[in-house]
Amino acid sequence: MRNRWYLLMMAPGFILLALFLYIPLFMGVVMAFQNYNMFNLTDLHFIGLENFTAIITDKTIDFWQILINTAVWLFFSLLFQFVLGFGLALLLKKPFAGRSIYSGFVFYAWALSGFAIGLVWSWLFNGQVGLFNDILMKLHLIDSPVGFLSNPKYAMVSVIITNIWYGVPFFGIMLLAALQSVPNELYEAAVLDGCGPVKQLFSVTIPYIKPTIISTILLRTMWIINFPDIIYAMTNGGPANSTNILATQMINKVYKQYDYGQGSAIGVIIMLLLLIYAVIYLKLTNANEDNI
Amino acid sequence: MKPRTRRNISTAVRVLLLAIYLIAAILPLYWIFITSVKSPQEIYAFPLKYWPEKISFASYEKLFSISTFGLYFRNSLVISLLSSLGAMVVAVMSGFALSRYSHSRSKGIIELVMYFSQTIPSFIIMVPIFSIFSKIHAVNNRAMLGIVYIATVVAFCTIMGKSFFDRIPASLEEAAKIDGCNLFQSITKVVLPITLPGMAAIFCFAFINIWNELFLAVMLLNSSSKMTVPVALNSFISKAGISWDVMSAGIVVALLPTMVVFGIGQKYIVAGLTEGSVKG
Repeated sequence: MRNRWYLLMMAPGFILLALFLYIPLFMGVVMAFQNYNMFNLTDLHFIGLENFTAIITDKTIDFWQILINTAVWLFFSLLFQFVLGFGLALLLKKPFAGRSIYSGFVFYAWALSGFAIGLVWSWLFNGQVGLFNDILMKLHLIDSPVGFLSNPKYAMVSVIITNIWYGVPFFGIMLLAALQSVPNELYEAAVLDGCGPVKQLFSVTIPYIKPTIISTILLRTMWIINFPDIIYAMTNGGPANSTNILATQMINKVYKQYDYGQGSAIGVIIMLLLLIYAVIYLKLTNANEDNI
Repeated sequence: MKPRTRRNISTAVRVLLLAIYLIAAILPLYWIFITSVKSPQEIYAFPLKYWPEKISFASYEKLFSISTFGLYFRNSLVISLLSSLGAMVVAVMSGFALSRYSHSRSKGIIELVMYFSQTIPSFIIMVPIFSIFSKIHAVNNRAMLGIVYIATVVAFCTIMGKSFFDRIPASLEEAAKIDGCNLFQSITKVVLPITLPGMAAIFCFAFINIWNELFLAVMLLNSSSKMTVPVALNSFISKAGISWDVMSAGIVVALLPTMVVFGIGQKYIVAGLTEGSVKG
């Protein structure tokens, strides 16, 4: 039987996954219930839910604000990434001269480091010599430079705009591929039925590529929640926690406070939230499917 | 409105929108590049110059002389190239095997393990890996970091590989078998040549992800001579702020390799992404 050979060929991949993803994941979940930190490596023991209660009742950092920040960060990033990415895919559907070069220029951001992109945009948003301040002042929309990243009022909007810019190519790539898979006959039939372009979009295109839309949105949700890079580079959660999300708070717990137990506890909270989200999301989208 | 006028208007709107997307996509990179070739005084000078008075490479000279950025670049390049190569080899093997494996129930479980591993946040495994590595004295070891990197991309690369191999009929190998090839020969002589584009996509995908990784590298490398490019950029951020001459040059150098890889492999990467369709 060749199947045994095939299992052997899969072994290296599985060993790597087990050693560096699944075992650490299990250890991480265990650590979330231990007093594991840099200053206490000898007397390691289980402390029940203490890490979780410590995070939720933290006096210096309001946990509910972090949750709300995470939700805001997720919702607006996702909404605009999707809408703008969909728009780009629709624009690119019909062939035109130089389309492949053009798409290279609008898609390349997908390949860039989120951390470096965060740095680039923190320079664009710079409160003294940033390009955006300069443009806004030249347009006489503002009189003096705005501290986009130092003012709690604007910081979240600024990091979300950056994240939108970074995420549009992914949706563009995925949705363009889906759009190109829609059979032309469907459009021809729609035209015969007297459908205009808008009606075609909503009654032919979107229903046809719905599975792709559902799966990309789910994947992107997980990815955005697990993605501290941009905020870490631009504000690191500040000012006054106005951009602190669960992922950046976890990085801070680990990098700055060396509190690995609490850091892991935040990781567990994120995974639980994502799990609940995924179950509800798939239930809702499946329920819709049944109605059609 | 006449149909012709309407068509003209819609073309004009389309061109305008395409132009807006293009400008939005290019502007940030244009600005960081322009900053990097300004003289250090001009970077902070008012009014802002949208084009430098005189092109100056002072920032790049400073980057490579003061911060030994060349060393970090080499570290990143060696780690990324070798790990992507490793990931490609492992993923081609497991992707092919998964595609041809015929025991349907365990196949489903294997696929689930692959897909689920994509949802594990990389920072929940960071601390455990650090604590294991501290115990076995593997911290501050570039080879070990490279192996961890292979593990972080191998599941997606396997899924990508499987979808490429799925499109190659198994009858091709059967024919090779009849011609007297064993399993190994039929893979290397018949299957692999057709899947070169797929392998290119896997390599590009792995390279891009590994080159860009920051947090594991910060955790697992602590001597400055071993730093990778993202870790070096991170070290440029100090309490006093960022000095944007060196930083802008560093960012440009950091972004170049993945831009080149994306430019070359765009067609394959796009195909691989949409087929594997698991991770951004």
